[in-house]
Amino acid sequence: MLLIPCPNCGPRDETEFHYGGQAHVPYPENPNELTDTEWSRYLFYRENPKGIFVERWVHSTGCRQWFNMLRDTVSYDIQAVYPMGVPRPAAPLPPAADTGTASTGAASTTPLSPSTAPEGATK
Amino acid sequence: MSTQHLPEHPDFLWRNPEPKSSYDAVIVGGGGHGLATAYFLAKNHGMTNIAVLEKGWLAGGNMARNTTIIRSNYLWDESAAIYEHALKLWEILPEELEYDFLFSQRGVMNLAHTLGDVRESIRRVGANKLNGVDAEWLDPQQVKELCPILNIRDNIRYPVMGATYQPRAGIAKHDHVAWAFARKCDEMGVDIIQNCEVTGFLKDGERVVGVKTSRGTINTEKVGLCAAGHSSVLAEMAGFQLPIQSHPLQALVSELHEPVHPTVVMSNHVHVYVSQAHKGELVMGAGVDSYNGYGQRGSFHVIEQQMAAAVELFPIFARAHVLRTWGGIVDTTLDASPIVGLTPVENMFVNCGWGTGGFKGTPAAGMTFAHTVATGAPHKLNQPFSLERFETGALIDEHGAAAVAH
Amino acid sequence: MAETAASPTSAKNPADKNLAARLSPARQLAEAFQAGSLAGTVELSELPFLTMVGVRADAGSEAATRLAAVTGGLPAGSGAVAGNGDVSVLWLGPSEFLVVAPTEAHESLGGDLIPALRDALGGDAGQVVDLSANRTTFELTGPRARAVLEKGCSLDLHPRVFKAGTAFSTEIANIPAVLWKTGGETFRVFPRASFAEFLGRWLLDAMREYASPEVP
Ligand SMILES: Cc1cc2nc3c(=O)[nH]c(=O)nc-3n(C[C@H](O)[C@H](O)[C@H](O)COP(=O)(O)OP(=O)(O)OC[C@H]3O[C@@H](n4cnc5c(N)ncnc54)[C@H](O)[C@@H]3O)c2cc1C
Ligand SMILES: [Zn+2]
Repeated sequence: MLLIPCPNCGPRDETEFHYGGQAHVPYPENPNELTDTEWSRYLFYRENPKGIFVERWVHSTGCRQWFNMLRDTVSYDIQAVYPMGVPRPAAPLPPAADTGTASTGAASTTPLSPSTAPEGATK
Repeated sequence: MSTQHLPEHPDFLWRNPEPKSSYDAVIVGGGGHGLATAYFLAKNHGMTNIAVLEKGWLAGGNMARNTTIIRSNYLWDESAAIYEHALKLWEILPEELEYDFLFSQRGVMNLAHTLGDVRESIRRVGANKLNGVDAEWLDPQQVKELCPILNIRDNIRYPVMGATYQPRAGIAKHDHVAWAFARKCDEMGVDIIQNCEVTGFLKDGERVVGVKTSRGTINTEKVGLCAAGHSSVLAEMAGFQLPIQSHPLQALVSELHEPVHPTVVMSNHVHVYVSQAHKGELVMGAGVDSYNGYGQRGSFHVIEQQMAAAVELFPIFARAHVLRTWGGIVDTTLDASPIVGLTPVENMFVNCGWGTGGFKGTPAAGMTFAHTVATGAPHKLNQPFSLERFETGALIDEHGAAAVAH
Repeated sequence: MAETAASPTSAKNPADKNLAARLSPARQLAEAFQAGSLAGTVELSELPFLTMVGVRADAGSEAATRLAAVTGGLPAGSGAVAGNGDVSVLWLGPSEFLVVAPTEAHESLGGDLIPALRDALGGDAGQVVDLSANRTTFELTGPRARAVLEKGCSLDLHPRVFKAGTAFSTEIANIPAVLWKTGGETFRVFPRASFAEFLGRWLLDAMREYASPEVP
C-alpha cells in the first residue's frame, strides 16, 4: 500500500485516494483541426515509463483535492507532490545505483509543506 | 478434479546456446507468447534460424504468475474468433507438443450479481452461441449444483443471481505449457537465450536490422515484440508509442487442500476468480492496482478486498490460509483487447495488450503472430487487433467479458 | 417502532412535528449500542439529528470573512476545528467546511444558523447547503475508545499526535467518515447515513473484546 503525502493533509493510506493517470495532458485547443492520428494520441495514448512518472491523484476521502505527483513506477518511491496547474518540477536525481536507501514518501526529495494550500487545486 | 499425476520432467528441456551474430527473426520476450510464436514460426513457416531473447529466465514474467484460466466466451465476433481458435488449439496441443501440461476442461463460470450483470451475461451467452462457442446460462440452483461450496443465499452484499458457464473452458499448468513449447522450439533448432536483455534496436532508415542486447549486438531481418508488461519500454527504444498502460496485477494461493472446488468461478463484480490447482492449492486472482507499476508487486488492500469477496462467496475459505501472494505487470489497453500486428517500424511487429487475460490466448497469439512476422501481413484472426484501430475507431470493447482480470 | 410512536400528526407545533417525523439512520441499533457499551471502558451511542451545514468559500475571500463572523471563525488547515459556543466548524478541504451545531439550530425547528450563513454568503461564489440528513453522529467514549478506532483507522490516534479539538476526514472500517476528537477519551464519528448501520455494527464488534477480562 502506498503512503501518499497529500499536500493538504499529510501522509495518508493509498485507499483514501483515487488515481488519475498521467498529469499535464491538456485538452486540445482545437479538436476539430486534429488529424485522426493526433486525436487518437489524445484519446488513447499516454506515457507509460519505467521510472519516474508524473501523475494525478485525488484525495477522495480527505480534502477531495487533486494534485500532481512524481513517482517511480519501479520502486514506487514518491519523489514529489505539487499543486495542479503548476509546471512539473525538474525530475529529482535518479536514485544512486547501489546505495540501496530507498526513501519513503515521508523523506521525499522535494520537501512537502502541508501548510500551503495549492492554488488552483480544484476538482 | 483430475486424477492425473504430475509428470516427472527431465533436467534439461532445451539447450542454453550462446547468441549467434545474426538470425532470420528475433522474438523479444521468453514468456508464453514469445515461445508460442517461435514454435509456430518454426512449425508453420519453416523459420528455424530464429532466437527468443529473454532478459530474465524462461517464462519468469506473467507466464509464471497468472491464474491459468482458459476460456473463449468473449462478446464480439473478432474476440470470439481468436479466443475460440486458441481454445481449439489448447485441445490438441498436449498431443502435438507431446507434453501433458494438465489442461483440465473443468468448465468456467462467470457469476452475475446484479440485474445489469444478468442482462449482460445473457446477451453474451447468446452472442457466444452464434459464434459456435459453448455457453450456457445457469440459474443460482444450477450454479450450486456445479459448485456446491458457493454461497448462493441472497443475504450477502452481492448475491449470486446466475452465471454464464462454458463447459470446455478450464485451466492448465502454466509452467509446463512454457516448457512444452520451449522443448519443441529447441528440437526444431530455435535458440532460446535467457539472461539476454534487449537494450536497443539497430535501424536502417525506418527498417529494423538488428537488436542491441546485454550479450552483444544481433543482426536480424525481423523483430517480433512479445514483452507483455514491458511492451511500451521496447516500443520507445524502437521510436514509437503504444496505447498501453502497465499495471500491477496480483494473485495468491492457499496451502494445499483436499479437492473441494470442482470448477473455475469468476466474479467480475466483486473482483475475484478462483480455481483449485491439481496439487490442491486454491488459486485466486485479484483486480489490477489502479496505478501504473513495473514493480511486480501491488498494494495489500487489493488482496484484502479480494479475500473478503472470496470468503463471502465461499464461506469455507474462511479457514484457509494464504501461503503466498505475488504480482505481475499487465499491459492494458483501453478496449481490453490485445494488439497483434504491424508497427510504424518496418519489419518490426508487436504482440501485446493482452493485459490481464493473455494466458488463454497463448496458442492463438503464437499462431497468428508467427503468421504476421513470417509473411509481413496479419492473419485474418489478428487483423482486427491492429494498432490502427485506435485511429479508425474500430475498437473491440471487451470490458464486459474481460472486466477485472483473467 | 418506539421512536416513531409520537405520531407527527399528534405533535402540537410545526417544529415538534418536524422533529417527530425524523428517523435516525442507526435507530435500529439503539438497543445493541446500549447492550454493547461497557461503562467506564468504552461506550457507544448515536447522537441523532445534529444540524450540519456544508460550507464552501475560498479562504481569504470576503465571503469567507462574512461566514467566519457567523460561525466564530473558519479553520485554517487539515485537522483544525473553529467555532463559537455551540457551533463548530470542521476543516474538510482548503475551501470546504462542515458546520456542526445542535439539533435546535436547524431551520425547521426555528433555528437561524442556516439562514444566517446563507445571508453571509450572499450572491458570492461558494455554497451553503443543509447536510443535516447526510451524516449521522456516533459518540464513542471511554479509555478504550482509541483502541477500538485503531482497529479500522490508520491515522495516528495517539494523544501525542491526535489532540482533543481536532477532526479529520478519513477512512474508518474501510468507509469514508469524519473523525472528531472532542475530549481526551471521546470521539465523534460521522458516517454517511447509508453507512451508519455498517459502521455501527463494526464498532460494536470491535468493542466486544473489552467485555471480557484482559488476558494478562
Ligand atoms: C496475476 C495474474 C493473473 C493472470 N491470470 C490470467 C488468467 O487466469 N488467464 C489468462 O488468460 N491470463 C491471465 N493473466 C495474463 C497473462 O499472464 C498474460 O497476458 C500473458 O502471460 C502475457 O504473455 P507472456 O506469457 O508472453 O508474458 P510474460 O511471461 O510476461 O513474457 C514477457 C517476457 O518478456 C521479457 N522481457 C521484457 N522486456 C525484455 C527485454 N528488454 N529484453 C528481453 N526480454 C524482455 C520478460 O522478462 C518476460 O519474460 C494473468 C496475469 C497475472 C499477472
Ligand atoms: Zn488531502
